[in-house]
Amino acid sequence: MAFFLVQVIVGGLLLGAVYALFSSGLTLVWGMMNIVNFAHGDFVMLGMYAAFVVFSLFGVGPAAGAPFATLLLATVGVIVYFGLIRHIMEGPMLAQILGTFGLALLLRYSVFWWFGANFLSLPNNIVGGTYDIFGLRIEASRLLAGAVALLVTLGLHLLLTRTSLGSKMLAVAEDSTAAQLMGIRPDSMQAIAWAIAAGATGLAGALIATFFYIVPTVGETLGIVAFVTVSLGGFGSVPGALVAGLLIGVIESVSGYLIGAVYKDIVVYALFIFFLWFRPQGLMGKA
Amino acid sequence: MKFSNFLGLIGAAAILVGSASGTAAEDKVVKIGAVMPLSGGAASIGVHVKAAFDVVLDIVNNAHPELGNFPLAKSAGLAGLGGAKVEVLFADNQGSPATGQNQTLRLITEEKVVAITGAYQSGITLTSSAIAERYGIPYVNGESVAASLTERGFKWFFRTTPIASDFAKVFSDFLADMKAQGAKTDSIALVHDNTEYGTSVANTITATFKEKNLNIALDVAYGSNATDVQSQVLQLKERKPDVVIMISYTSDAILFAKTMQAQDYKPPILLADDAGYSDPDFIKAVGKISQGAFNRSSWSVGPSGSPSAIIADMYKKKSGVEMDDTVARQMTGLFVLLDAIDRAGSTEPAKIQAALKATDLKPDQLMIGYKGVKFDDKGQNILASGGIIQLQDGANYVSVWPKATADKAPVLPYKGW
Amino acid sequence: MMRRLLWPSVVLALVIAYPLLFSTPFQQRLGALVLLYAIAASAWNIVGGYAGQVSVGHVVFFGCGAYAAMAAYAHFALSPLVGIPAGIVFAVAIAALVGGPTLRLSGHYFSMATIAIAELARLIVTNTEYLGASPGLSGPAVPRNLFDLSFVSALPYYYLFLLVLAITLLITWRMTNSRMGFYLRAIRDSERAARSLGAPAARTKLYAYMLSAGLTSVAGALYAMMFGFIDPESGLGILISVKMLIMAALGGAGLLFGPLVGAAILVPLEELSNSWLGGQGAGLTFVVYGAIIVLISRFQPGGLLALAHRLWERHRKVPEAAAAEAGHAS
Repeated sequence: MAFFLVQVIVGGLLLGAVYALFSSGLTLVWGMMNIVNFAHGDFVMLGMYAAFVVFSLFGVGPAAGAPFATLLLATVGVIVYFGLIRHIMEGPMLAQILGTFGLALLLRYSVFWWFGANFLSLPNNIVGGTYDIFGLRIEASRLLAGAVALLVTLGLHLLLTRTSLGSKMLAVAEDSTAAQLMGIRPDSMQAIAWAIAAGATGLAGALIATFFYIVPTVGETLGIVAFVTVSLGGFGSVPGALVAGLLIGVIESVSGYLIGAVYKDIVVYALFIFFLWFRPQGLMGKA
Repeated sequence: MKFSNFLGLIGAAAILVGSASGTAAEDKVVKIGAVMPLSGGAASIGVHVKAAFDVVLDIVNNAHPELGNFPLAKSAGLAGLGGAKVEVLFADNQGSPATGQNQTLRLITEEKVVAITGAYQSGITLTSSAIAERYGIPYVNGESVAASLTERGFKWFFRTTPIASDFAKVFSDFLADMKAQGAKTDSIALVHDNTEYGTSVANTITATFKEKNLNIALDVAYGSNATDVQSQVLQLKERKPDVVIMISYTSDAILFAKTMQAQDYKPPILLADDAGYSDPDFIKAVGKISQGAFNRSSWSVGPSGSPSAIIADMYKKKSGVEMDDTVARQMTGLFVLLDAIDRAGSTEPAKIQAALKATDLKPDQLMIGYKGVKFDDKGQNILASGGIIQLQDGANYVSVWPKATADKAPVLPYKGW
Repeated sequence: MMRRLLWPSVVLALVIAYPLLFSTPFQQRLGALVLLYAIAASAWNIVGGYAGQVSVGHVVFFGCGAYAAMAAYAHFALSPLVGIPAGIVFAVAIAALVGGPTLRLSGHYFSMATIAIAELARLIVTNTEYLGASPGLSGPAVPRNLFDLSFVSALPYYYLFLLVLAITLLITWRMTNSRMGFYLRAIRDSERAARSLGAPAARTKLYAYMLSAGLTSVAGALYAMMFGFIDPESGLGILISVKMLIMAALGGAGLLFGPLVGAAILVPLEELSNSWLGGQGAGLTFVVYGAIIVLISRFQPGGLLALAHRLWERHRKVPEAAAAEAGHAS
C-alpha cells in the first residue's frame, strides 16, 4: 500500500508537470492581455498533430517534431493575434469568448476534415522505455515532458523578470498607453507574447503526443484542465501554473487511487471552488 | 428596427429551410435515413459506419454473384420492389439527443425516408426513435445496448444487436470454460467508465455474475476520456485479480494499454467488452502491447471466400481500416431492414413493419455470428449472440470461443508485449 | 406615435404567424427551438448582459429545471409540468447558495468559478443513481394526457415557448426600468463607483443571479419536456452554458432583444448547416459554424443588435438633420 502510494504520487507529479506544461501558454496570454482563450486546448491538439505529421513523413520522434510544432504554433499564434485577437481584445469579455470559441471549433473541425476522426498515436516507446528505479516505474516520455515543463516555466519566468523584452511585455500588460508613450509598441509586444505562448503550447502538444492518443476532439479533454490549472495558479503567473499543475496532478492521482477514479475530478473542482473562496486571486496571482 | 432585423433573419432562415426541403422524391429509389455520430467524440465510429453503409449499398444495388445466397446480393436493387435502388441519407447527431431527434424529424418529414437506422449512443437512439414511433416509421437499431430501449412498448422499434444481459452470459460461460481448462477465475475485477454504456454493462455483468457465483472482487469505475489512468492500473496491480474485464471506449482503452505497459502490469486474463478494444485504431495504436487480450464480439472474419470475408475486404478497400464488431453490427441492422423492405415489396411503413415482425433470418444469411434474427414482441432480436475473440498476434483478432465456431484455441495467460 | 408602433406590431404579427407561414414540421420545430434557446439566453442575459457577470456555468440552473421535470415523471409518475416550480426552487436556492461566494469574484475568476461549479454538478449527477446517472432520465415514451406536454407537432411548443419568452422579456424589461436595473447598469459600468454612490452592489447582483437562475431552469424544464430525455451531457454539459452565452453575445448582451436575435441566427445556422453538411461526416458543419462566429466577433464584437442600433441611429439622424436644415432655411 505504502509503496503503491509512492508510485501514485510520483505519477501524479509527472502528470501535474504535463498539466503545467500545457497551461503555461494560457496563463501568459490570459495574464498579459486579459484574454480568455477558449481555443487553448485546440492549440495543444494542433501541436500533437504537428508531431504526428513529422513522424509519419520523416519517421522521427519529438527531436524534430517538438521544434516543428513549436515553430508552427508560434506562427499560428501570430496569425491568430493579428487576424482575430487584436480586434476583440478591446471589446467586451463576451466577444473574446465568442471569438475564441468559434476559433476552437474552426481549428478542431478543420483538423477533423483534413485528418479524419480516427484515433492516431505515435509508436510506443518513441522516446525510450520505462525506467525501473527500485520498483518505481517512470516512463521516459513523461519524464521528458516533465523536465521540459520545468525548463519552459523557468525560461518564461526569466524572460518576464530578467530581460528587457520581458519588462516591455509586462509594461504593455500593465498599461499599454503608458508603454506606448515610452516608445514600446504594444502591438508587437502582444504579438510576441502570442507567439511565445502558442509556441510553448505547441511544444507541450508535441511532447504529450508521445504518450497520449491523438484525435481532433482531444483539446476538449485537455482544455478544461488548463483552465482550472491557470485559475488556481493565478492568471498570468507562470510559476503559479507550475505549482497548480503539480498540485492538481497529485490530488487527482491520489484521490483516484484512494477514493476512486470517478471522484477525482469532483475532488479537484470542489477544492478549486473552496480555494477561490479564501484566495480569489489564485495561488500566486496578484490581488 | 430591432424587430424588423429579427424578422428578416427569421424569414431568411425559413426560406433556407424551405429550399432545403424542396428535393423531389424519385419513385424508383428507396430512401433510408441513418442518424449517426459524425462529429464530436464518437465521430470515428460514425465515419466508419458511413463507409460500411456504402458497402451495403454496393452489395444491394449491384449484382454480386460472388456472395452466393447472401440476401439481396444476387440481383441489382431490391428484387421485391422491381429492382429499386436504395439510398441512405446520413444525418449527424452531433452526440446530442436533441440534435438526433431534430435530424430524425427532418429525415422523416422533409426527406421522406421510409425507415430509419441509428443512432449509436443509447440516449440518442431513445430520443430519435421516439419521433419515428410517433410518425409510424420503422426504426432498426443495430448497435445501442441500453436495455430500456425495448421496454417502452414501441411498435416501430426493432433492435438486432445483443444487449448487456447477452454479453454477461457470454462472459460467464466463457470464464466457466476457462476454469474447466485449468485457469484461475476466483477473483474478477471490473474496470468500466461511467458513461451510459459502461455503467449499464457493468451493472448487468455484476448482477449476472452474482447469480452464477462468480466473485467480482474489485469494481474500478472511472470517468470517460480520462487524462490519466495510472491510479486505476495500480489498484489492479495491488489487488492482483485473476481476471480483468475492461469496458472502455477507444480513448481510454489506448491509455489503459499504455499505462499497463508502463506499470509492468499483466493480468492473467484480460477480457474486454467490445467498444474501444474492437476499434481498429486501438489495434493500430496499442495492439502490439495488448497481445492475448480477449474481446467480446459477434463478428469474426470467417474463412476466405465466405460472404463475411468478402464483405470485410470490400469494407477495408472503402474505409482503409479493418472491419470490427461495432461496424459489423450496424451493417447487420441495415441488412435486416433492407431485407424486410424487400420482402414487404413496398415502401409503405406498415408493410415494412409487418415484414420486420416476420423476419426470420438464419445464421448463413447474416454477415455476423448471431444465431439468426427474429424479433420478439418488444422488437428485440432473440437470436442475437456473440463469442470471444483474441488478439493473439497483436494485429488481428481470431475467434477462440465458443469452440464450435472458433478458428483457434484460446491462449493463456495474457501476454501483453 | 403610430409610426413608432407600426414596425414592432408587424414583427410581432409575423412572429405569431411564423409556424403558419412556414408550416412543415421541421420548420415549425426550428421556430420552437429558436424561442426555447431565446428563453435560456434571455435568462442568462439578466446576469451576464445587464449585470456584466459572465457566467459560463448557467447550465446548472438549466439542469435543475430539466432534471426536476424528468424526475417528477420518472419517480412520481407526475406530469413533468410539476417539475417546473420544483426546478425554479432548486435553481434559485443553488443560485443563492453559490452566488454569495462567487459573485464577489471579479471578471474571469467568476467565469472560472461558474465553470467549475457546473462541471462539479455534472460529475455529481453522473454518479447519482436517483437522477439516472449517466444513462439519464426519460419522460413518458407515449404521452398519457395533455399535461405530459409531449406533442408530435412543434406547434403547441412554439406558442408555449413564445408565451414563456414574452414573460421572460417582460420581467427583464420591468427589471431594467426599476431601481434594480439602474443599480445593475451602474455596477456593470463600474462596480466601485456604484458602491461609492451607495448602490447595494452585492445584494443587487445576487438578486439578478437568482432571478436569472429561476428563469433558466424554466428553459431547462421545457427542453426536457420537448425532447423527453435528459442526461448529464445534454442537461449539464458545458456546451449548453456556452450556447446561452454566445447567443446573447452574438445578438447583443445587455439588450432586451439581443438573445432572441442571437438565437434566431445561431439555431437555424446550426441545424441547417448540420442538415446540409453534417451527413458527409467530414466535420464541415463546425468549420462553417466556427468561421461565422469568428467573423462576427471579429467585425462586430458588440453583437449584431448593437450594429443594427448604430445603423438605425445614423438612418434616423440623416432625415432629422435634413429637417433641421430645412427649419433653418425657412
